Amino acid sequence: MGDAHLEIRNVHKAYGRVAAVQDLSFAAPRGSVFGLLGPNGAGKTTTIRMVMRIALPDAGEIRLDGQVIDDDLRERIGYLPEERGLYRRMKVLDHLVFLGEIRGLERGESRRRAGLWLEKLGLSDRAGRRVEELSKGMQQKVQFASTVIHEPELVILDEPFSGLDPIATRQLKDEISGMRERGGTVLFSTHVMPQAEELCDHICLMNRGRAILTGPLDEVRARFARSALTVDTPASDAELAAVPGVTAVRRVEDRRVLDLGEGVDVAGVVRALAARVPLLAVQPVVDSLEDIFLKSVEGDHAALA
Amino acid sequence: MLRWRKVLPVLRREYLSRVQTKAFWISTISVPVLMIGATLLPTWVMSRTGGEYQIAVVTADPGLAQDLARVIAERTSRHAVAGRLQVTVRQVTPEGEPSAQRQRLKRLVVGKELAGVIWLPEVGVAKGEVEYLTSNVTAFRLIGSLESAVANVLLRRQLSRAGVPADRLDELARRVELHPVRIADDLGETADAAFEKSFALSYILSLTVYMTVLFYGYYVLRGVLEEKSSRIVEIIVANLRPMELMVGKIFGVGAVGLTQYAIWVVLAVNTGAIGALAGAAMPSATLVPPHLLVFFIVFFILGYFQFAALYAAVGSAFNSEEEAQQTQSLVALVMVFAIVLMMPVMSSPDSTLSVVVSLIPFFAPVLFFTRMTVQTPPTWQIVLCLVLLVGRKAGSPPTRGGSRLQAQGSSSPAQPGSRLQAQGSSSPAHPYQGRFTSREGGGALSLEP
Repeated sequence: MGDAHLEIRNVHKAYGRVAAVQDLSFAAPRGSVFGLLGPNGAGKTTTIRMVMRIALPDAGEIRLDGQVIDDDLRERIGYLPEERGLYRRMKVLDHLVFLGEIRGLERGESRRRAGLWLEKLGLSDRAGRRVEELSKGMQQKVQFASTVIHEPELVILDEPFSGLDPIATRQLKDEISGMRERGGTVLFSTHVMPQAEELCDHICLMNRGRAILTGPLDEVRARFARSALTVDTPASDAELAAVPGVTAVRRVEDRRVLDLGEGVDVAGVVRALAARVPLLAVQPVVDSLEDIFLKSVEGDHAALA
Repeated sequence: MLRWRKVLPVLRREYLSRVQTKAFWISTISVPVLMIGATLLPTWVMSRTGGEYQIAVVTADPGLAQDLARVIAERTSRHAVAGRLQVTVRQVTPEGEPSAQRQRLKRLVVGKELAGVIWLPEVGVAKGEVEYLTSNVTAFRLIGSLESAVANVLLRRQLSRAGVPADRLDELARRVELHPVRIADDLGETADAAFEKSFALSYILSLTVYMTVLFYGYYVLRGVLEEKSSRIVEIIVANLRPMELMVGKIFGVGAVGLTQYAIWVVLAVNTGAIGALAGAAMPSATLVPPHLLVFFIVFFILGYFQFAALYAAVGSAFNSEEEAQQTQSLVALVMVFAIVLMMPVMSSPDSTLSVVVSLIPFFAPVLFFTRMTVQTPPTWQIVLCLVLLVGRKAGSPPTRGGSRLQAQGSSSPAQPGSRLQAQGSSSPAHPYQGRFTSREGGGALSLEP
């Protein structure tokens, strides 16, 4: 996983006097699922558009496999935009063939793969129907198939889960995991943190056009792992506070949360606790990605204020 | 730099998705039918405006009425039965007070018992005018034949009064018709270049060029807007350069137009046969000289490229047909000018005005072609016209037009949206960029505290 498959280095993009992306750098390792996270308006879509050269960066560079992305290199990427549409009056098979062709497939090959995909999606009997006759869910499947019909090494999905029902969401998640297993790289943007937490191994958290957190999900989590324990015990607050290393005791619902001092050996505290009070349960406190996200964004805003 | 492997799928899609529709075939068949219909209808209606008319002649000359009836009958006998005018002429002798008699006759006209009254109390016309009292002064055909008949009869009367023997009257009062004979550059004569037919032909062909250039230009506009409203454009521009998309689209739609033209030309060449089958008086195929058919197609192509590029530029600046309507109608207005100028150009194709306006690239597809249908312009003008048209086309690729239009939109700095568009168009000229940049920019703007 070491080498950077997609690398974004010091990218700037401004529209008029409004900076949409500022000094953004991150690298998506080969074979990773990379989450581009952030609130609405953070610059995620602008970043993706710059990768696809729909918008060009004012400064900085974007490389795929070490090569600066040009118009031809885009054929190695499969891109599913957030605003996705199809020609409504085109026939389903023709449409898929067309999208395969503009993504670089030769016509015959595109036709062959389009047929296979329709079979896989269970839409073979609709091949001659117009796109507008398909249900919305079926159209989404066709769109997804067209994104990967040319077997790209990198797939970029902009808010792929918006508008999907739970079944389609599940299928797309499986599809993303499957792509990683086959050695492909997936970059997707979302503002729904539990999804990112479930799928990503690397993230870049953006706010107001800047990256405020970047790296492997584990590392980001570890960086935010608070020194705190949740305990379930009949012992009194005073008894708990007397344990060495504990700086504060809070009640959260029917449990107690013990805040520990900076750099305290958590395992040592647990041993000391077990020696002094009866313990029913002990759990280290781990922030969810959502907590990290909210905290970071709030912190970012506070820093600017 | 165009990558044809990218352009071709777009071109093919644009072409097939249009040719495979019923609408294409309906319009291919109905346009010539309507065109020919619209041109022939007035003539046809005219030919059916025959009928029986009762006319009274107020005259003291007893032979006048018979003479009139005879002359009218002679003249109209050449027409088909259906279109024959049958005029019965009744003599009314002037009697009593003229104004009272006139009043009585007027009552008969209003009561539809008479179609009209020729008021000719004294034989001999000092003023060269004869009064015709009628309730319908726009019955051109009836009035026209009455006029020539009255003139002829009066001429006979005057000749005979001047001492010309009766047997020479027919010869001296013979009616003369002017037959136009068209002379080509090689001095060849076309004896039966019937004016109406040649006129109708010019009109049909020029109007077809006009309509198709507008229609197909508008198709391009619609296509661009459809891609935006269906949101597929994002996928397209992630894979194609804007120029590749535009070239594919314009050539694809143009190919649809050419297909239609090919069908029409084949139909035109075989009109004679088709007309014979239908037993109708279709304008004969031999009327359309082959070189005209060639220029028919050439001017469509050149006109189409110009207007398609303009329409593509309009399409790139707007998001929906409603928004584009105003600007689009400005483009159409250019063509309407050409149509307004068509009549003057047709009647005097050599005048300075005709030469100048027909060389203006926007008008040339219609007006220069109109001139060609009437008479072949000097070769240098044909060459100049084509050079101007091709030069214009090469000089303004559609995307450049698009970015230029966006840049113009940015001249009002008060609107942040349009300022963003200007920014967008300074990076690779992009027909769709205006929209994207302004949307994105809008999102970024809303984040400002």
